[in-house]
Amino acid sequence: MSHTVLVCDDAIFMRTMISDILAQAGFEVVGEAETGSQAVEKYRQLKPDLVTMDIVMPDMGGIDAVREIVKQDPDAKILMCSAMGQQALVVEAIQAGAKDFVVKPFQPSRVLEAVQRVLG
Amino acid sequence: MSDAGVVRLLLFRVGNLLCATEAERVREILPRLEPTRIPGAPPVVAGIVNVRGTLVTVVEGWRALRQAAPAPPLPPAPASGSAPSPAPAPAPASDPMTGGGAGGGGERVGGEGGDVAGTTVLLELDGGKKVLGFTVDEVVDLLSVGGEALERRQALPGIDPTLVRAVGRRAGQLFVVLDTDALLTPILSS
Amino acid sequence: MDLSQYAELFLAESREHLSACNQLLLDWERAPANPAPVGGLFRAVHTVKGMAATMGYARVTDLAHRAENLLDLVRRGARPATDDLLQLLFRARDGLEHAVELSVAGREDEIDVAEVVADLDGAAAALAGVRSGARPTATPGPAPEVAGPITPGRLVQVTLRAEAPLKGGRAVLALKKARSLGEIHDVTPPEVAFEAEDFDGRFSFRIGGAAAPGDIERVVRSAGDVEHVTVGGEERRPAPEAPGPSGAGTPDARTRHIRVDLGRLDGLMDLIGELVTVRGRLNELAAERRDPAIDDVAIQVSRLSSELQAEIIQARMTPVWQVFDRFPRLVRDLARELGKQVAFRVEGKEIEVDRAILDELGDPLLHLLRNAVDHGIESPADRKRRGKKPEGEIVLTAVRERASVAISVRDDGRGIDRAKVLARAKREGIVDAHAEALTDDQLLRVLARPGFSTAEAVTSVSGRGVGIDVAMTRIRALGGSLDIRTEAGKGTTFVMRLPVTLAIVRALIAGVGPERYALPLTYVAETVEFGVQATTIVEGREAIVLRDRVVPLVHLRRLLGVAGDPPARWPIIVLEMGDRRSGIVVDGMLGQQEIVVKGFDAPRGTLPVFSGATIMGDGMPALILDAGGLV
Repeated sequence: MSHTVLVCDDAIFMRTMISDILAQAGFEVVGEAETGSQAVEKYRQLKPDLVTMDIVMPDMGGIDAVREIVKQDPDAKILMCSAMGQQALVVEAIQAGAKDFVVKPFQPSRVLEAVQRVLG
Repeated sequence: MSDAGVVRLLLFRVGNLLCATEAERVREILPRLEPTRIPGAPPVVAGIVNVRGTLVTVVEGWRALRQAAPAPPLPPAPASGSAPSPAPAPAPASDPMTGGGAGGGGERVGGEGGDVAGTTVLLELDGGKKVLGFTVDEVVDLLSVGGEALERRQALPGIDPTLVRAVGRRAGQLFVVLDTDALLTPILSS
Repeated sequence: MDLSQYAELFLAESREHLSACNQLLLDWERAPANPAPVGGLFRAVHTVKGMAATMGYARVTDLAHRAENLLDLVRRGARPATDDLLQLLFRARDGLEHAVELSVAGREDEIDVAEVVADLDGAAAALAGVRSGARPTATPGPAPEVAGPITPGRLVQVTLRAEAPLKGGRAVLALKKARSLGEIHDVTPPEVAFEAEDFDGRFSFRIGGAAAPGDIERVVRSAGDVEHVTVGGEERRPAPEAPGPSGAGTPDARTRHIRVDLGRLDGLMDLIGELVTVRGRLNELAAERRDPAIDDVAIQVSRLSSELQAEIIQARMTPVWQVFDRFPRLVRDLARELGKQVAFRVEGKEIEVDRAILDELGDPLLHLLRNAVDHGIESPADRKRRGKKPEGEIVLTAVRERASVAISVRDDGRGIDRAKVLARAKREGIVDAHAEALTDDQLLRVLARPGFSTAEAVTSVSGRGVGIDVAMTRIRALGGSLDIRTEAGKGTTFVMRLPVTLAIVRALIAGVGPERYALPLTYVAETVEFGVQATTIVEGREAIVLRDRVVPLVHLRRLLGVAGDPPARWPIIVLEMGDRRSGIVVDGMLGQQEIVVKGFDAPRGTLPVFSGATIMGDGMPALILDAGGLV
């Protein structure tokens, strides 16, 4: 059975691209979220095997969303999506409970590597 | 019209004139379709017709070329020898190659109790940017002629010389190759 | 992977974010002490950066990165807006917009942002100077050996791949994973240095517990991007890459938004148009045949095509903010340039209209707004002298009215000097030399004359003619109307009314003699029936009085030159456009139906009262009357 994924990013562009990468590799993207609070809500509903989480989002940021999700489910497998220059934020996200991170610009191979690492 | 190459011409009759236009400018040959009048437009404009969902403005050939009005609609009895053709209102497309002018007898389509019999030729204007309908009495032939067979003569009785691009001959009869852009463009507003 | 398929999406979304930036900058400019917009700006620029990097647009990425840097500093320092900072950020935003457009057009090498980049960096350096010491700096050099007191545990030395991005994050991840095996001590450089941008990817730590060196290495490597790991002095070569997941199975349908090229929607709309026409034909056939089975199918086809049509029209509907959002910036820039003070407000941003109409609205609105700033709003000094607030007000409003949308531009400026316009109109012979006043309607007609806005008019008649003819032509072409209300000293309002959609409209079919005409319901207020004896003459025009209002009549039969005599009782279609009304006298009302609006090549001489044509159920064309040309 393929793994289910929740894709969180405020840009449709990014969601589309991540979803395409994952779908082509056989993952099942079961939901998308545009804000941190949506991510938390959808995580609760969908219980996906994996979450990809943008760091900078309106409403509730990605890091706060990670904290919320980990509070609900300490085993949540969250992959942060960050941009260059977000060293400090990435560190914060990992401390908050994110399992790994990828850096934009995304190369499909790197995204899939990171996903494999997270899913162990 | 290059002097060397071979030109394909569509020959048609309007009143007493035998006219021709390059076949490549002919989009389609249709039976006469009943037009919807456009208020304010000059009499030379018959109106607009529906060609499979596209609206085409139609010009009356006989008025544009100052010919006599075609014969009034024929009574239901078939005209001398010509087979009655079925005339569905919006007729299917006909290829310019085969559409009209088979043999001698001009096809008389349309006019089921309507006004004037005849044929509508859809002509490309302005390098294909526009398409106008042009009513003719009948389509006569599709000819391939060498460019050298056409004369650049323009003065011909019964027609405005500025509308004539060349003159040719078919079976001993003179025909004029019309400058359709010059004839039709001034009819459109802009 | 092929990125070109994402270019449209990138462009559309970048434009949205950059448009939002404009609004945020304006908000910030209005309330400089409130730093709330900065967070939004940072996010928007950040998002554009991420997208551009993914598309491989290096210059956009670079510019966005520098702007983001500056915004980050501003945000952390919660600094108020200064004029210089705002100007710089506006410039950066404009530069980004330009760079995005050029990149998508494949003209990336034409992007020249050196100056704004230098200014952004300069501003960032100045701000960072203020905050110096607030953040840790990295420790350059080779991974240091652990010195000092010996602590228990194995020494682990890690080197991350040179090309790995965000090495600090990777290092933190490695440490976190190692912690699952034992306690971590003596991290070198200290963890806080990982957060610095120039951390070079080499670090070491001691790990307690009983884990085997192989396990430690495996766990550290599982953080990813690890080049070398040395555990307890025993070096290991890097293991081969972990293979990616096997790509098996196709994803299920996912719910997500997509963006559709307008051309495709147009194509779809054309097809629906043909379907609607065929449906009409089918309905007529069904009515002729009286076969219940055909009837059933016809009814189903009708229902399905109506639903399809509604869906597609809905898909074409676009909120007006997509065009309105660029105006606040425009008004601001214009006001600054002209030394005016203007508070600009937008109301009804969420109102939706057909995308094809919206695309045409930009220019007319631009003309009206420019006029309002330039000629409507007085200078601050002037306003004070007249006892007004120095700051003028311009309001752009969209309101839904029946099947149309009214969009107005209102200013509280000086209004239009009717006497001057009248004098001029008389001189040019536009109005009767004995006319004593101009109604709003006449005023507009004078102003909308092409060429009325000569240099003299600009100075003496407050130049209201500028662009009105352009706006008027555009609006009329869309089947809309333009109205004006103006009061000297109080201000001017222009109202444009437009149909909500262009492609398929509901219309009344009117019969005049043997002919049929379609009249879109957009501006139809009601239909009434009158006899000839009930009409009166008002101001030399035949009219009826309807609930105490005079409605001038237009006899379609006469106007269109249809031969024959009218029936004794006339159906009258009352059209209403803003304050203007008109009664269209026809022979008969043949019903209502959806019509597909099509263009046709109008011959010269065609009466200017048609907005297009349509095809009726029987396949015959019918002309569509343009309410704007009749009222």
